[in-house]
Amino acid sequence: MQIKERIVPQGIILDVVGDLTYAHRAVFKAAVEKARQAGCRNLIVNLEQVRFVDSAGLGLLVLVSQNLKLQQAQISMLKPQSYVREIMSLANIPKMIPIYEREEDALMGRAA
Amino acid sequence: MSSRAMPHIGQVPDPSQGIETLAATILLIEDEPVTRTSMAARLTRLGYRVLEAENGRVGLEVARRERPDLLIVDWMMPEMDGLTFCDAIRGDPQLKSSQILLMTAHDAPAQIAEGLVRGADDFLSKSSSKQEIIARVLAGLRTSRLVRKLETTGEELKLSMLLLEKKQAETEADLQTAAAFVQSLLPSPGSPVHGITLAWEYQPSLTLGGDLFDVMTIDADHLGLYILDASGHGVAAALRSASLMTFLRAENMLQLLGSYDPANVLFEANRRFPLSADGDYFTLWVGQLHLPTGSLSYASAGHPGALLSSAEDPSRWLTTASFPLGFDPSARFTCDRVSLKPADRLFLLSDGIYEVPSPSGELWGRDRFQEAIDAGKQTSLSATIASCFAAARGWQQAQHFPDDAAVVGIELTDCREDTSNG
Repeated sequence: MQIKERIVPQGIILDVVGDLTYAHRAVFKAAVEKARQAGCRNLIVNLEQVRFVDSAGLGLLVLVSQNLKLQQAQISMLKPQSYVREIMSLANIPKMIPIYEREEDALMGRAA
Repeated sequence: MSSRAMPHIGQVPDPSQGIETLAATILLIEDEPVTRTSMAARLTRLGYRVLEAENGRVGLEVARRERPDLLIVDWMMPEMDGLTFCDAIRGDPQLKSSQILLMTAHDAPAQIAEGLVRGADDFLSKSSSKQEIIARVLAGLRTSRLVRKLETTGEELKLSMLLLEKKQAETEADLQTAAAFVQSLLPSPGSPVHGITLAWEYQPSLTLGGDLFDVMTIDADHLGLYILDASGHGVAAALRSASLMTFLRAENMLQLLGSYDPANVLFEANRRFPLSADGDYFTLWVGQLHLPTGSLSYASAGHPGALLSSAEDPSRWLTTASFPLGFDPSARFTCDRVSLKPADRLFLLSDGIYEVPSPSGELWGRDRFQEAIDAGKQTSLSATIASCFAAARGWQQAQHFPDDAAVVGIELTDCREDTSNG
């Protein structure tokens, strides 16, 4: 898994490529921590190039969501592929972490 | 010529030559007494311990006994010449890494090449100046010291590897014991109660698995069943799973809740098993089968669910979107009901059975799992489960699953009193 960080005026976008799984949790954690230390208030995880998220990956997303909330910050997800969306729906993740189809909507934090 | 080695202990060493010269031992092998004595005196004055031998054969004996740091060997000698001595040293497992300085009057390239091929590390002309002798001796000793350090490090590494392998074997034995214990917690295949057949197959991705399940008698009329999936892998996940499994025991639930109502079981488990600081959590599917009527109540906490396979109707998933345990401490879980008829089969499964990638990365998926279950309707319960595992392994073209893979099946083998939907 590779993560590229894009800093935009409204927040930070993490473009993730590969599987977000137990084996790659350290890479994801490090990217989130870097964004947090940069004072990011709006973190967007772009999942367009992510084919698979396992249970550990889901747990990380939820943990990050909870931690950011405590700091009055938020996380959202962008363009998950259909299987990833299915996994997330099963665990009710969209009720906890907003999912957007368009980057501009994610940046503005408005419903898709 | 003398047939004995003649050690000469050097004078007070010159500190400017560095610490490696203090204990360095040089074996000087030269048949010509005047040359040997003169060279030995020179080296002794430089602070080295010098051993002398008058030919290669004697030199070899001394080398084996004393393991000198540097060998200075004359090319032309009776009995065993310098080149034959080099051959013998390189062929001796104990001495083969010794540094050899071949002393010669020859300086033709072909002879130098032959000396190097036969095992010499460097050359020293008999007419060399004092400065050149010092420089070549120091270079040889420096190399000798590095080679010995490498040898020592190699030995230490070998020892560490042995210790590590021993520790690993102990850890593996511990894990096997723990795995056997966890395995003993799982229900026995067969018939847990009259009218119900149980079969399952489970392959943890590591020695210890984090996916666990149970099928148990709650009371005379009820059968409880669940499957749990711990996020993550390894010992930590397995321990957390065993802890939840203990919590889910029938007697514990009856004591805490007065029943094995699936929604209440999930509510209580959700309160007691929060999301860990590392993002670890469980998904859990719980069901309760009313044996006299075949009515199954079930609830899910983020679990991919169970598959109901009916003899006449298409199979269908029994699950609802819901938070896994610990995501929301105040979460409520919905209990659904379905009626099972004789010959119906219910499969509880972990996502590890269908989230297996093909070599090109495509997942096998829930739909293909469902197709495999439907295709096995005419075979025995255990054969159907086995065929699912075979199909998943065939898809990924590997025996070993990347995640814990479990499929638990129950089949109603006896007529119930009432088959209406509850």
